[in-house]
Amino acid sequence: MTELPEVILVEDSDEDADTVQQAALRCSTPVLVRRVPTGDACLALLQQPRAALPALVLMDLNTPGMDGRETLRIIKSDPSLSSIPVVVISTSADPRDVGHCYRAGANAYHLKPVRYTEHLEAMVVVLSYWLDRVVAHPGRAVKP
Amino acid sequence: MILASVLPPPAWQGQAYSTKRFGVSITDCDSEPVQTPGCIQAHGALLVLRPADLSIAQVSENSAEVLGTAPAACLGRPLQELVGPAHAARVQTLLQQPEIERNPTYAFTHTAVHTGLALDASMHTIDGVVVLEFEATGRVANEQRDFYALIRRSVAQLQRATTLSALGDIACTEIRALTGLDRVMVYRFHDDGHGEVVCESRRDDLPSWLGQHYPAQDIPEPAREVFRQTWIRPLRDVDGGLAELVPLTHPDTGRPLAMTHCALRGQSVMYTEYLRNMGVAATLTLSIRRDDKLWGLIAGHHYSAPFEMPYDLRAACELLAQIVSLQHAAAEEREHAAYRQRIDSVQQQLVTQAAQEGGLAALLDGPPTLLDGLDTGGTALYHRDRWWCAGNTPALKELDALREWLAARPEMLLRDRPLFATDQLSLHYPPGEDFANVASGLLAIALSRSAKNLVLWFRPETTQTVNWGGNPHDKPSVVGPHGSRLTPRASFELFVESVRGRSKPWLSVEVEAALRFRMLMMELIVARSDQLSGLNADLARSNDELDAFAYVASHDLKEPLRGIHKYAHQLTENAGQFDDANHQRLAGLTRLTLRMDSLLDSLLHFSRVGRVELQLEECDVGEVVEEALDMVAARRGEKPTRIQLPRPLPTVRADRVRLREVYTNLLSNALKYNQQPITTIELGWLDPTEAATQAADRGWPTVAREQTVFYVRDNGIGIEPRHIDQVFKMFRRLHGRDDFGGGTGAGLTIVRKLVERHSGEVWLESTPGQGSCFYFSMPAGNGFVGSR
Repeated sequence: MTELPEVILVEDSDEDADTVQQAALRCSTPVLVRRVPTGDACLALLQQPRAALPALVLMDLNTPGMDGRETLRIIKSDPSLSSIPVVVISTSADPRDVGHCYRAGANAYHLKPVRYTEHLEAMVVVLSYWLDRVVAHPGRAVKP
Repeated sequence: MILASVLPPPAWQGQAYSTKRFGVSITDCDSEPVQTPGCIQAHGALLVLRPADLSIAQVSENSAEVLGTAPAACLGRPLQELVGPAHAARVQTLLQQPEIERNPTYAFTHTAVHTGLALDASMHTIDGVVVLEFEATGRVANEQRDFYALIRRSVAQLQRATTLSALGDIACTEIRALTGLDRVMVYRFHDDGHGEVVCESRRDDLPSWLGQHYPAQDIPEPAREVFRQTWIRPLRDVDGGLAELVPLTHPDTGRPLAMTHCALRGQSVMYTEYLRNMGVAATLTLSIRRDDKLWGLIAGHHYSAPFEMPYDLRAACELLAQIVSLQHAAAEEREHAAYRQRIDSVQQQLVTQAAQEGGLAALLDGPPTLLDGLDTGGTALYHRDRWWCAGNTPALKELDALREWLAARPEMLLRDRPLFATDQLSLHYPPGEDFANVASGLLAIALSRSAKNLVLWFRPETTQTVNWGGNPHDKPSVVGPHGSRLTPRASFELFVESVRGRSKPWLSVEVEAALRFRMLMMELIVARSDQLSGLNADLARSNDELDAFAYVASHDLKEPLRGIHKYAHQLTENAGQFDDANHQRLAGLTRLTLRMDSLLDSLLHFSRVGRVELQLEECDVGEVVEEALDMVAARRGEKPTRIQLPRPLPTVRADRVRLREVYTNLLSNALKYNQQPITTIELGWLDPTEAATQAADRGWPTVAREQTVFYVRDNGIGIEPRHIDQVFKMFRRLHGRDDFGGGTGAGLTIVRKLVERHSGEVWLESTPGQGSCFYFSMPAGNGFVGSR
């Protein structure tokens, strides 16, 4: 079932990662969420030889090692990766963080609410939108 | 003297003067020819000789009584006929010595044949004549006294004196011991010419005159001129009478004899009158000179009887007077060095004190204070926009005006010597007349470049501090035996007028000490301001770091919080087997995570408020309030609310979004904490002039006096006075967590931060049960009044 659209989740918090997994289960489209805890791991994964690019990168901003801002910058400045949609998910509503990410090429910026139900719902909306509504970028593996 | 011009010309004008004939007609001390009185004191005799042949040109009219030969028998005769060839030869020898000019020198002792009395003859030359004076020796013939032995001890003591007053005390004591005079004083001339008794040795039964001041007119200018030229002036007997010279002027030249250096010079009638008034029978006066100036006099008074002062005794006194004069500068230098040292040590202590306590106000806490050290009546320090005073000073209002005047004085703006010193302030600064009693003397130094910060030292008016010798208010006008002409005593009123508004002058040692003090203070201030700017930088840095920390911490704290909340949520969903208590606990856990979430949001917001750049623009406060009211509309809908605007709101230069936030916070509090059936909120403002009139009475912050003040008044529950300080503190709530709709307790903290970032202040007035009024001030905008 390698044809399933793949979402890479960069998230060091197990709880938050689980919430995304829960959200993925509630999407109408089956999706494979591959979680990496750090930005470095994310880049390593993307740079492996692979048949198709992931459908989406969900990126937490505050990750250990290389943080989300830097990882985002590298992805968006690499011509072979820059077409991958990167959606930032962050606790910070600080305009400076938001602005920075958009300028670095983030495709969207979402907040992670503390209240679980809101958090879960936000993740469902994000995943559904990017998997169901958005026309996939050409490098992405799609369902036959 | 002024009076001279309006008086008739002297009676003796056009002829030779003689005190004996014309002295009574003198109306004006300053015009009396005291150096050519034409008369001698009658107890001695005087010969004027021609140097070429020692023939007698003039002789005192009493020569028959003193010398045994009548004037007619003397005139034109050679000296040796009168005193014998040996004494004449002695005169001839002395005449060859240049020192004899204007310097009376012992010549010989002559025994008068008709009385058998020994007479000392002293001689000097002046104006081309030889003057020979004869006086009774006052001793048994041939007795020799060793005056050098007598004064050797005195000289040694004088040389050791460390202060001027010690020097004067020694001089008085020693001269009195030597002569047996009843009273010996040092009489000092002040710069304005008036005199003061500064040292005294007296017979025990006599009243002290120490510290008495006397008008300048008491020692008229011609008398002072004599004392600049001669060291000594004896007057054997105030009532001794005068003997006129025969002829009155020199037969060859027609000139009167210059008697400046004569020990026998005839006394002025004015002078004897003055002395009689004081009950003085005889006087001995010596001069104290300093750099060719007459600094003062050593005045000896004898009350009981005429006083014999033979030549050798006079010579000893004269020597002492010269030594006092020679030692004077050295003693004063030692005294000033000691004074300078005392001032310096006090000022060092003051600076240390100020450095330790960290404020110039410590200069007046003491001991010691700015009053110590310098000899002063009062002192005032202007620093940090206020006065700090000690001792007797002008009133604060007067100080303010004086400060403004000083700031414009060019002296105060000098780089190295920003100093103004005067002993007569009202002369330079007419309003100073109003406080001349405490501050005729002013010594001011600037502690900052623009003379904004000052130290002032004050000295009172001299008339306030001294004892006036013979004050006419104690003893009304003295009428002399020669009628009610102008006696020295009566010129007292003129004198008081001349010293009105003057203080003791500032010594150069004091002025220099003030400048050194200024240097020390400047160093301290510079060190302190360096320290302060360092602290400010540290403070700014730690404020920034605190904001950054709050920001990072609240983000990082949110992540575990989200996890906890999530587990609580999941437990709740699968909690079928839990009992009610555990259900409640789980619900509590969930609620607490959410509350913590909102606290973290507030903290984040607060830290952002402190960091974001303000977008200042001219804001229409009325519009801002409209928007804020919209934002709290939901809460307004909860119950009947009346919003009142007594008059249109002005414009103000502010960050529109932040100003709106101030209003939404204040409005939502006003709506929240209210239990009246109808909530009433008044939104108003005061322009700076209106605010200033209220500020003083109501204890508002000082900035309120120059800023526009806005207020939000409600009829809510009010705040207990003891809680007023708490309301602006972060997360400080006065009510239960869920009372009045809950809240984090950060709203007013954020309001205060926002207003402070606009350079304004927030404060409130409140009556529990009746309502609160929150005020905030903002710098007055450009077009704030009537702009709507």
